[in-house]
Amino acid sequence: MPYFEDVELGDEIGPLETEATDDGVLEFCQVWDNRGPSRFTDQAMAEESRLPGPIVPGIMSMGIMARLLTDWAGTEALKDLDIVFRQPVPHHKPLTIAATVTDTRQEDGENLVECDILMTGADGERYVGGKAIVALPSKP
Amino acid sequence: MATELDYDRSLHDKEHEAGPFEVTESQIQAFSRGIAETNPIYTDPAAAKAQGFRAIVAPPTFCTIMVRQVSLSDINLKFNGAPMGGGMHAGQRVQSRAPIMAGDALTASSHLKDVYAKTGRSGTMVFIVWETTFRNQDGTVVADVQESFVRRG
Repeated sequence: MPYFEDVELGDEIGPLETEATDDGVLEFCQVWDNRGPSRFTDQAMAEESRLPGPIVPGIMSMGIMARLLTDWAGTEALKDLDIVFRQPVPHHKPLTIAATVTDTRQEDGENLVECDILMTGADGERYVGGKAIVALPSKP
Repeated sequence: MATELDYDRSLHDKEHEAGPFEVTESQIQAFSRGIAETNPIYTDPAAAKAQGFRAIVAPPTFCTIMVRQVSLSDINLKFNGAPMGGGMHAGQRVQSRAPIMAGDALTASSHLKDVYAKTGRSGTMVFIVWETTFRNQDGTVVADVQESFVRRG
């Protein structure tokens, strides 16, 4: 796990390369009781919503983005994740999640690292973007 | 022409309570599989206990699925006198305050945080932001979640 003192402005975190599968989306939807066919799981329902195919739920994209930061700094380190859904995220397409450190500061006894975080596609699509705050330990 | 945004402003001061929502091991495991999480503290009770947790831990944005089970009021939005329909999920914010673990029972307290209009090339969009505070069975705040929806005029 990184120490606060080792992080500098402009540092890159990641990337995390992944994709969302039909099965993954289906299972995720079942957790929040969205069990029937929907624009997340069904081609015809997606087309009714004027989408080319089923999309990844926003809160699932958010969960995937959070993984980049918890993989980097641990589950309790992620304090704040604030994102904007810019474009629908398709199933079975390469997704790249990466973050750039934009600020480091000490506040209320915590070492905070602020970063911009972005989920992009193989053709440069900017699917989801936002900001995150991670708390890191000091060097012993 | 001045634009006029009309909605049920009393909702700013109204707390909508929901829950308790039981957090189960299988929910956390399914959420973790959905986001392809591989850290065993989210799936394996022994691994979670080895790191000092009472039970498996929920990934930090887990309570976004609980927000989906809170039914929020219709704000009766009107823009220049005309009702605005539709609504797309525009953004989400999660501020984690304390770990959520299997066996927790969370209660949700939601209120209307903000309603504002933005005008750009494609016309006017109205953003509606709800804020939900989650507490566990001990009364500890575990997360604040903001959810924003956009409607087009």
